[in-house]
Amino acid sequence: MNTAGGRFSPASHLCGAARRIARIPRPRDRHLGYVFIAPTILLLVVVLAYPAYQSVHLSVSPRGGIGGPTLVHYVALAQSDLFRQVIWQTAVFVAASVAAHVVLGLAMALVLNRPLWGRTGFRILALLPWVVPDVVAGIIWKWILNPLYGVLNDALVRLGLAANPLEWLTNPSLVLPSVILANVWRGFPFVMIIFLAGLQSIATELYEAAAIDGAGSLQRFRHVTLPGLRRVFIVALALDTIWETRRFGLVQAMTGGGPGTLSEVLSTQVFKQYFQFFKFEFASAMAIAMTGLLLVVSIPYVRMIVREE
Amino acid sequence: MRRQGVVVPVRILAVSAVMLTVGLIPPAWSGEAVTLRFSNWHLVETVWGRSLREAIAIFESQNPGIRIAPEPISYAEKEPRYQAECAARRMPDVVKLHNFSLTMFFELGCAADLTPLVQKEGPNFLKTWYETPIKSLTYRGKLLAMPGDFMSMVLIYNRELFRAAGLDPGRPPKDWTEFLDYAKRLTRDTDGDGRIDQWGFSIPASKNPGLPLRIAPVVWSFGADFLTPDGRRSAMDTREFREAFTYIVELATVHKVVPPGVTTFGPGDVRTQMAHRRVAMKMGSGWSYPIINDINPALKAYDTLEAAPVPVGRKQITMAWLSGWIMSPHTRHPDAAWKFIKFLTSKETEKKFFFDNRVISSRKDVNTLPMVQTDKFSKMIVSQLQYARLEPLIPEWPEIFDAFATALQEAIIGAKSPDRALADAHARVNTILGAR
Repeated sequence: MNTAGGRFSPASHLCGAARRIARIPRPRDRHLGYVFIAPTILLLVVVLAYPAYQSVHLSVSPRGGIGGPTLVHYVALAQSDLFRQVIWQTAVFVAASVAAHVVLGLAMALVLNRPLWGRTGFRILALLPWVVPDVVAGIIWKWILNPLYGVLNDALVRLGLAANPLEWLTNPSLVLPSVILANVWRGFPFVMIIFLAGLQSIATELYEAAAIDGAGSLQRFRHVTLPGLRRVFIVALALDTIWETRRFGLVQAMTGGGPGTLSEVLSTQVFKQYFQFFKFEFASAMAIAMTGLLLVVSIPYVRMIVREE
Repeated sequence: MRRQGVVVPVRILAVSAVMLTVGLIPPAWSGEAVTLRFSNWHLVETVWGRSLREAIAIFESQNPGIRIAPEPISYAEKEPRYQAECAARRMPDVVKLHNFSLTMFFELGCAADLTPLVQKEGPNFLKTWYETPIKSLTYRGKLLAMPGDFMSMVLIYNRELFRAAGLDPGRPPKDWTEFLDYAKRLTRDTDGDGRIDQWGFSIPASKNPGLPLRIAPVVWSFGADFLTPDGRRSAMDTREFREAFTYIVELATVHKVVPPGVTTFGPGDVRTQMAHRRVAMKMGSGWSYPIINDINPALKAYDTLEAAPVPVGRKQITMAWLSGWIMSPHTRHPDAAWKFIKFLTSKETEKKFFFDNRVISSRKDVNTLPMVQTDKFSKMIVSQLQYARLEPLIPEWPEIFDAFATALQEAIIGAKSPDRALADAHARVNTILGAR
């Protein structure tokens, strides 16, 4: 205990502690830092780096694993009509889903940012679709759209909007839009939450100043809200694009990629090739191609974020 | 100070290593009861699940040193999960698979060789089983699974709906022309609201492992086959195959005797439709009646449903369902796992499975029992085993059938003409087989 004149003195106590800290041989102890972060690095290597290496390795291995590295699976991918079709369908699925998420998410965020009665309740309600697991959402929508027992067809027929039940998941022109519709319902709350957080970070003084300058609500939205949401918009767009490209459970549960291959997306194809047809090398090549596409998609967003910061 | 800074993490690592090593010691070494992981898709089903749990309780009471840890899994999830677990050397000790994917697991080395264990049981041990299942489960000279259920696919129909449509319930359709005629008459508007609410036939035409069981008998009975006899090329370009394919497609597109949305149906959907009198005929087997009865007990399935041979085309043929009990090649308790497999395939347990679930055994000594021979469904299923054949036992079969199912769906929804869809499937199958 540090004492001054036999009595305890906080100042001298702190000085003593500082001196003790100063005495610690820092350069040597830096190694201790590596020990502390070692579990995290080990975990990353085990769950990220090793599987990634394995996937790349598998994608350039010949079928059955006997022989040297080969690009034969990538060549097969490039020549595959199905792969091109799946890439196109994935692009449509992702573009439509993300666009709808942004529009619907922003609209809902604007509504829920206003002082409404029961606002917290509405916010929780709006979040519910996002809480529902992917596969469960797919099963729910499969039942909603069922041509025999589905509630949507029943409502349409009762309201006189359709003469006969529509075959949402078997009509070639309706199947992909139906899956996108379900995905929009399931995914918009995430974007909504990001926008809501963004809206709450915009200073109210800016709106007051704009109002004093005579700006109407549309002008305030255009010149205050939208610029204020720019950064969160970029984040939402980047994350949503990446997540929707990987979306699997909902599509698998609703259609399994069918009928035929009309709702097949990259993730369902990778799953089929790997786990159902046991074509590990080809599936890995497909997964690597998918990762490459995602990197290309995300680079501009990442660059924008870096520039913003 | 410096020394302490290094010693502490080293101590932590040492303690962790000891804990990890202790955790990895098999319980048998430490003198505890052996725990076997047992995975089976039937565990999620009400009737079968109850039956299996009862069987497990019996086994545990007979073998106090062995505990069974049931791991329920969905029917569609089992192959991907077991395959991933096998790659990680973490597959459950005992699993059940059926013919559709058994060969792939054999090829991947995901099944322990049971031959030495069987040999220890004596030379006559396998003679109790039918020859076909034993042959099918023997891969490259090794017995890699013990046979479970062995059943033929039959036509299941609702006698009350037959009667209501003016058809004789005692005279099911004999051939495919008659079948179509029956299906048309059974497709009706029963409540008079101007909309069809009952269909003659239903089939699970989504891409699921249950589809080959229901489709292949039709294809084969038309005299067609998926592959050439040597199994090296697609045979989907034959006249017989086109006839069979067009017949199946037109049930939905031209005659509309199957419910709308057929390409989204799984086996469970079709059973639900039959349980609620929405469809009059379906392909099924021993499991059909108990499951349908469980979905809607008010149907009184045992009295209302009947079983008949699959209608005959150019030949009388049907498909066999065969399941096999596999032991993980990485099990740490092979003796206990073998004991459990022997129990599951014993006469007493197979009798129980028949009694509870109406599944037909691959043991001859069970199928000759009066309880099997007097049951109207079982009698029919056993009688059709002589006409039953299995799917091609090649690893490419799931992908080959996917090509066929894709064509079937494309033709049914009108995305392609039946000829175009079939030609594409034919080309794809040849590509798959060419890559061997």
